[in-house]
Amino acid sequence: METPDPQRHQIIDRLMAQHPEGADTVSVLWEKLATEVSSIVGAGGFDSLYERSVFLTQSTFPWLAAGASSAQADHRFTSLKTSLAAQTPTHASEANRLLLVTFTDIMASLIGEALTTGILRSAWGDAAADKNGEELKK
Amino acid sequence: MNSQDKDGASDTGESDTPGQTDTRRDQTRLAAEDAVLSREKSADLREDAANLREDAADVREDAANLREDAVHLREDAAHAREASATSREQDLGSGDAQTASDDHISKLRQANEHLVIATIEASVMAEEIQAAKDTLEHLVHYDTLTGLPNRALLQDRLGQAIELARRQDRQLAVMFIDLDQFKPINDSLGHLVGDQLLQSVAQRLVGSVRHSDTVSRQGGDEFVLLLPYIEHAADAALSAQKVLAALAPPHHLAEHELHIGASIGISIYPDDGRDAETLIKCADTAMYDAKAGGSNSYKFFEPRMNAQAIERQSIEASLRLALERQEFVLHYQPKIDLQRGTTTGVEALIRWQHPQRGLLASAQFVPTAEACGLILPIGRWVLREACRQAQAWLQAGLPPVTLSINVSTAEFLAADYLDNVRAALEEAHLEPRTLELDLTEGVLMRDVASTEPVLHALADLGVKLAVDDFGIGYSSLRSLRTYRIDTLKIDPSFVSRMIGNADDAAIVCAAISLARSLGLRVSAEGVETVEQARFLRDRQCDEAQGDYFARPLAADALAALLQTGTVHAFQPTAGDRPPQ
Repeated sequence: METPDPQRHQIIDRLMAQHPEGADTVSVLWEKLATEVSSIVGAGGFDSLYERSVFLTQSTFPWLAAGASSAQADHRFTSLKTSLAAQTPTHASEANRLLLVTFTDIMASLIGEALTTGILRSAWGDAAADKNGEELKK
Repeated sequence: MNSQDKDGASDTGESDTPGQTDTRRDQTRLAAEDAVLSREKSADLREDAANLREDAADVREDAANLREDAVHLREDAAHAREASATSREQDLGSGDAQTASDDHISKLRQANEHLVIATIEASVMAEEIQAAKDTLEHLVHYDTLTGLPNRALLQDRLGQAIELARRQDRQLAVMFIDLDQFKPINDSLGHLVGDQLLQSVAQRLVGSVRHSDTVSRQGGDEFVLLLPYIEHAADAALSAQKVLAALAPPHHLAEHELHIGASIGISIYPDDGRDAETLIKCADTAMYDAKAGGSNSYKFFEPRMNAQAIERQSIEASLRLALERQEFVLHYQPKIDLQRGTTTGVEALIRWQHPQRGLLASAQFVPTAEACGLILPIGRWVLREACRQAQAWLQAGLPPVTLSINVSTAEFLAADYLDNVRAALEEAHLEPRTLELDLTEGVLMRDVASTEPVLHALADLGVKLAVDDFGIGYSSLRSLRTYRIDTLKIDPSFVSRMIGNADDAAIVCAAISLARSLGLRVSAEGVETVEQARFLRDRQCDEAQGDYFARPLAADALAALLQTGTVHAFQPTAGDRPPQ
C-alpha cells in the first residue's frame, strides 16, 4: 500500500507550483526557511542540515552545488542559484523540489512531522497555507 | 514628712493663761481652720492625686495605645518595606526575566545547533560505517579489478546451482576461460594496460551471457562462467561461441589496439562431476586441451583429458629440468631455391632429447611450454644456440646460408626481445642479415603501438622478417608494407592440398603473385612430393622446404650435406631425382 506524501511535501509542491522558476524560487523559499530554522537551531544547525540535503540530492542531480556558509549568510545560496540557473527551468525546479523535500525529510526525522510542518508554515506564512482547505473550512 | 509634723503638734495637752487662752482659741480656731483647710487641701490633694492617677492611667493607656500604634506602625512599615521590597523585586525581576529569557533562548538555540550538527554527523558516520561494511562484504565476494564475482562467490553460486539442478534433474555447465597470450601483453605493455584489458574482457564476457549466468574471475587472466540453466550440452557450446565472438574485436585501450583470444574448457553437471570442485577442475582440464589444439577455441571435457593433463603436468616439470640439463637440441631443415636448385638457408627447429622417451618433436612440448611460460627461456636458448651454430658453420668454411628461427607471439611481445636478438648476434659475431625471424600473422595483428617499434628496430638492425604460415591468419596487406617484411611463407596446409584442390592451388598462386607484386620473396613449407615442388617452381615460387628435399637434420649432418652440396634432389629442370 502506497504511503501518502506528508503534508509538508504537499506544501512544497504548492509553493513550487506558485514559483515555477527554479533559480528565483531559491530566494523566495530558501532564505525564509533559513531565517526560521536558524532562529531555532542556529546558523550552524541550518548549514549542517542544508549541506547534508545537498549531498543527498546530488545523487540524483550531481550538478547541484552546495556552498552554504553561515559566515556569508547573504551569499549562502549563491552556489545553488548559479547551478540551478545553468539548468532548464523544469530540471532546476525538480532539483530544487527534491532539495527541499530532502531538507524537510531530515528535519522531520529529527523533530517529527508536526513540528517540521509548523516551522515551514512559520517560514513561508500564507504561501504555505492550503487555500482550498481553508475555503472548505469556511 | 509634712503629715508627720502635723500629727506631732496635735498630740500636746498642757494648760495656758486667758491671754494665752484667747491666743489659744485663736490658735485653735486657726488650727481648725487650718485643719479644714488642710483637709480641704488634703481632699484636693487626694482629688488631685486621684486625678493624677487617673491622668497617669490615661497616660499609661495612651502610652499603651501609642506602643500599640507604634507596633502597628512598625508592622505597617515592615509591610511597607516588604511591599516595597517586593515591588522592587518585582520591578527588578521584570528586567532580569527578560534578560534571562534571552539568555535561555540563546542557550537553547546553541544546544539545538549542536544537537542538529551532532545528529547529522552521527548520521554521516553511520552511513560511512555501513558503506565500509558493504565494501568489505563486496571485497569478500567480488574481484576488485573487474567487479565480477570472485572465486568464493562462484563456489557458493555453483554449489546452489548444483543443488537446484539435482532436485530438478537438470544439467548445468561450467566454462573455464583462459586468455591466449595475455602474459606477453601484460609484460610488454605494463600492468596498467593489462588491467584495462582484463576489465574490457570482463565487460564483454558479461555482455555475452544471460543475466542468470555468472561470470567470475578466478585470478590472473582466468575466468569461470556458470550456466545454471541449460537444456543440452549444445547450449554451452553456443555460449562458448558467443564468448569467443565477443572477444574477437580489438580492444582499444589508450593508443593501443589489442587483439586477444581465449581458450575455453567446458564441463557438464552431472556427466563430468557432481560437485563444484570437480566441475571446475574438469573445465580447467578441457581448457588446456583447447589451448593445446590452437588458441581461440573451446573443448568439452572428456575423460581422456585427465590422462593428458597428468602428462602435461609431467612435461611441464620435465621441461624445467630439461633447461637445466641442456636436453634441448636444434635440428635444421634446408630451404631450396626452386629456380636454381641451391640451398639458400636453413630453418632451426627445436627438439627435446628426452632421457626416457627419446627425441621429441616440437609439437610434443612447445604448446605446454607456451602455456606455462617456459617458452621464453627456451626461445632465448634457441636464438643464442642457432646464431652460435651459424657462426660455427661459417668458421668451418661452409657456404653462408640464411638462418630462420620461429618466434612465438609470447617471445616477440616480451619486453626484452629486441635486446635478446642483439645480444645473440653480438655473442655469435653474426651478421644480422644472416638471421631471418619467422613471425606469425598473429604477431603482426597485435597491438600496432607495441609491435611496430620492435619490427622497425629489427629491420633497421638488418635482420630479415618473414611471415610464417601465411594465408591462415588475418594479416593485412598494409602490414606487409608497414613492417618491411622480406618473405612470405605459405602455410603447409595449402601446399599439401594444392595439387588436388583447385581452391588451395588458387590460394597458393595468389600468395605467390601477391608476394612478387609487393617485391617480397615467397617460400613454401611442407613440400613432400615432386609434383608439389614442380607446381611451385612453375608458379615462380622462390624457395621451398619440406621432407621431399630434406628432413630436419642435426647440425653435423647438415654441415656434411652443405659440404658435399648434395643436400637435395630437386633440379630446376625435368628429371628430378627422388630424395635420398
